[in-house]
Amino acid sequence: MSLTITCPICGKRNGYEFRFGGEDKGPRPDEDSLTPQRWCEYVHLNECVAGVQKEWWVHKDGCGSWFTIHRDTVMNVEVAKPEADR
Amino acid sequence: MMTRINQLPTLRVDPTKKVVFDYKGKDYVGAHGDTVATALYYNDVRIFGRSLKYHRPRGLYSLDGECSNTCMEIDGIPNVRTENTLVKQGMKVKEQNVKGSAENDMMGFIDKLDFMMPAGFYYKTMHKPASIWPVAMKQIRKAAGLGVLSPDFEMPGKFDQIFPSADVVVIGGGPAGMSAALASADKGLRVIIMESRPWLGGFFDYRTFDYRDENYKNNKQLYSRARELASKVESHANIRVFTHTSVVGTYTNNLVTGFQIGKDNDKFTERYIEIRANAVVVATGCIERPLIFENNERPGVMQVGCVHRLARTYGILAGERAVFSVGHDLGLEAAIDLFDLGMKILCVADVREDGQNPHLMIELAKRNIPYLKGWVAAEAKGGKRVKGVVMTTLDGTISRDFDCDLIVASAGFTPLNGPLTLAHAKLRYDSHTNFFVADKMPEKTHAAGRMLGLEDSLSIEASGVIAGLKAALDCKLMKESYGNSDVDALKSEIDATVAKQKELPGPARGSKFVTAPVKGRKSFICFDEDTTIKNIRQAIEMGFDVPELIKRFTSAGTGPGQGGIPGHNLPLYVAKYLAASGAPPKPTTVRAPLVPTLIATYAGSKHIMMKRTPMDDMQRADGGVFRKIGVWERARYFSDDFSCKKEIENVRNNVGMLDGSTLGKFRIHGPDALKVLQRVYVSDMSKVKLGRVKYSAMCNDDGCVIDDGVVIKLAENDYYFTTSTARAGATIEWLRYHTRFDGWDFYVVNLTDSMGVINLSGPNARKVLQKITSEDVSNSAFAFSGYKEFMVKDTIPVKAMRLGFVGELSYEFHVPSSYMVSLWNMLKDAGKEFNIQNFGVEAQNVLRMEKCHIILGQESEQRTNLLDLGLGFLWDRTKKDAKTVGAVALRQAENDPTRFRLVGFEMENNGRAARDGALIVDDKVRGYVCTARDSFTLNKAVGMALVESHLAKVGTRLEIFEDECGGERIYGTVVPMPFYDPDGTRMKS
Ligand SMILES: [Zn+2]
Repeated sequence: MSLTITCPICGKRNGYEFRFGGEDKGPRPDEDSLTPQRWCEYVHLNECVAGVQKEWWVHKDGCGSWFTIHRDTVMNVEVAKPEADR
Repeated sequence: MMTRINQLPTLRVDPTKKVVFDYKGKDYVGAHGDTVATALYYNDVRIFGRSLKYHRPRGLYSLDGECSNTCMEIDGIPNVRTENTLVKQGMKVKEQNVKGSAENDMMGFIDKLDFMMPAGFYYKTMHKPASIWPVAMKQIRKAAGLGVLSPDFEMPGKFDQIFPSADVVVIGGGPAGMSAALASADKGLRVIIMESRPWLGGFFDYRTFDYRDENYKNNKQLYSRARELASKVESHANIRVFTHTSVVGTYTNNLVTGFQIGKDNDKFTERYIEIRANAVVVATGCIERPLIFENNERPGVMQVGCVHRLARTYGILAGERAVFSVGHDLGLEAAIDLFDLGMKILCVADVREDGQNPHLMIELAKRNIPYLKGWVAAEAKGGKRVKGVVMTTLDGTISRDFDCDLIVASAGFTPLNGPLTLAHAKLRYDSHTNFFVADKMPEKTHAAGRMLGLEDSLSIEASGVIAGLKAALDCKLMKESYGNSDVDALKSEIDATVAKQKELPGPARGSKFVTAPVKGRKSFICFDEDTTIKNIRQAIEMGFDVPELIKRFTSAGTGPGQGGIPGHNLPLYVAKYLAASGAPPKPTTVRAPLVPTLIATYAGSKHIMMKRTPMDDMQRADGGVFRKIGVWERARYFSDDFSCKKEIENVRNNVGMLDGSTLGKFRIHGPDALKVLQRVYVSDMSKVKLGRVKYSAMCNDDGCVIDDGVVIKLAENDYYFTTSTARAGATIEWLRYHTRFDGWDFYVVNLTDSMGVINLSGPNARKVLQKITSEDVSNSAFAFSGYKEFMVKDTIPVKAMRLGFVGELSYEFHVPSSYMVSLWNMLKDAGKEFNIQNFGVEAQNVLRMEKCHIILGQESEQRTNLLDLGLGFLWDRTKKDAKTVGAVALRQAENDPTRFRLVGFEMENNGRAARDGALIVDDKVRGYVCTARDSFTLNKAVGMALVESHLAKVGTRLEIFEDECGGERIYGTVVPMPFYDPDGTRMKS
């Protein structure tokens, strides 16, 4: 409820306007030689970090774009992109 | 009825304005401005209710609603806090948790049975033998719980929500809060101030002289200072004032929530307020920390502020003969002031051995009030109300009895730091003030006033100014909003104010005293849950050492008062009891809502916003029976025969029209449009041909079907497609999500609302269509699965498809919404000679079910994949490079024998159709009925079910279990699908 999110197009907005799209796990793997195990992990396993994680959001009640932010999952606040990620 | 002191300048009631209300069927009279509690007290009501467990009599205690003592049923709403509710003309007030009356409660005997209910009674007693539980539960449910709510109760009143924003939010409208608000507002910032009482003023509002100052008589009286500040705040253009507004939560990012109780002329009963601010000042002040002694909650025992405010704010002297047992200077001040107002004060006992302000002692002596330093109340006497008190020295060696009708008791103060801890401040025990103070403050949040331990009035105001300036600085440092103006000047102003405040008295020393030297069997630490000091000791002796766990085990602080009474005493008592461990007191966790809040307030106004199709008015005029379906209101039936026999037969034998406008409709175009379709649809979308309709489905990453619809190629990389009604809202998000790493160039437009859909179905459909267009729509020119665009009357552009959802010759027309009514009327006119009729969603449901065409969400649930539904033929396995969503999972599920299968079945022996959702069973659940209906077309009951694969073979007998069937099973047999026109000759003709 208290979360605010910075949309790359619309700027900082109320968190109500967005929908969560999960942790960032990179593009879907190639299908050749993909094991069921590996696929299942890609789709269903999450890191569930207690701290800062990179994750996807969609501005559903706004411009409709998908983008990533970094969020502190303990305090539930958006944080600046970590140095390592820049 | 009591006499009111009518002439006080501090009064908040108008005794000349009478308010008549009903209490237990009789008329009572209060004054305008009274709370229900003060009005009842004025009418000599002393016992307000009975306690939860022991049915002990309870009365006024704090006057701010910190416990359930004074909760009553008002106008049918149970558990209303009468101390916080203004009395209104015609209100109906009833006591609760009594058998008989509060005065003579037949359950009162339970108070004598307390020895049977030690700490953790429920946990320890109610689990063995297991067979006793159902019996015990019934009895406990009858006896326990506060208030009664009928299941068909409808909440009266109007509820609303507002979401204002502000630069600075100030929580608390006392001297510190008002000073903070003015300081911020004077710097040009937009300020919201929230105050839980109906007026600004805080603890200055009912006080006169601060006798601690030698020259008190020359100073402005405190209430008048409060009103001066209040008028400045109220008239300040930058400040928005919310009175009678309790804060219920504070969150990260400086979000503050609360609710406001409406005044006489407000359009709402209560409203939820959610404020997004840049900085927060918390100046919530203190409540009193209860003094614990035997029968410390007997009606007639009250806190200092309660007695003082009853007199000064409401003009009511709470008793005639009072004994004070206090641990702070405000208690002494109240005794002096109440004496001057005419109360007889037998003695003032002070648990502090030293540290009292000498001027207060002089004032007491001037009035000949006996002052007992190092004494405390040990036991309240009297059964239903106070008749006397036993006073004792702190070591319990000497005692003295007094006859009195009022015991004014207060051990110390408790800072209201809930708003800070909810915003993640860490609390630290401060041994000087004896408070839990915020150690690490949340970002851009500042505390001010009494909650810091300050008692001196000037110091309190100064702390408010400092907090207000700091909040202003926080805002001004946010460059993007405020341009960083005047930051340096503001910083030096803060430094100067801080320096000035340092010359004023700092935080006062706080008393650590919790309980009189008594055994504690009837010494209550928590009133809501009837938890005694003895219970706490029992819990500690059983090994509990953390207040948080003791709270759970004894339920102290888990009642409606949200820990207001025991929240501070519990950790202090535990730390003292475990003094040998040397650990400092640990606070219990505070959670939102900080005060009890009506669910109706959170719900707000009943705004039901359903979408309506362009045909809505006409469908209603034609007798449509509407139902809420997803986000839409749709015509489900066109008569009161909900089996829709006529509608169905008309489509099968003649021609009908359905408004299908709720269907999701999209256009996707751009260089990479086809790639997107290849990604989300299971079929090979490169095979979609111009002039043809392609049916396909979308799966999720688990291969489960999430959507189905048709795709039409308009040109290269330009497609029009439909989705199911329910998926329309999420489709674009889905497409963009699954292509978010690819950087593809495409545009997708949601046409759901801008296009309407008419479905024309039945053997006579072509004859109707031919009458309104010159286009060749013969079966050879416009065959099944064909797509055509043409103009009607040179004006209406129609996208026409030949589909067969209902299993007959059928056309679907997609036209701009604005033309829907025109086209509909043309078709209706053209169909007149065939007696064309409407059909609704339910008729369509039966028609398509007979044809075994699925509806997602009916023939599928979250776990149903494409193969389960027998739609595997849609899936193209060769387009691996497209990375089609769901393809990997489908490949893995392909040979999985444990999956369900969709089957068709008919009922045995001409039986009626099983209910939708009925279970397929043997000794276990083996599946469920998706849709089943008595088919007029086929003259038997048929349906579709999802069953385990071993039951999928044609001829298998299905045992069906329905809710409340009482052991009676019904049976069906698996038959081939579809049931109707298996070769499809009718829809292709
Ligand atoms: Zn946006």
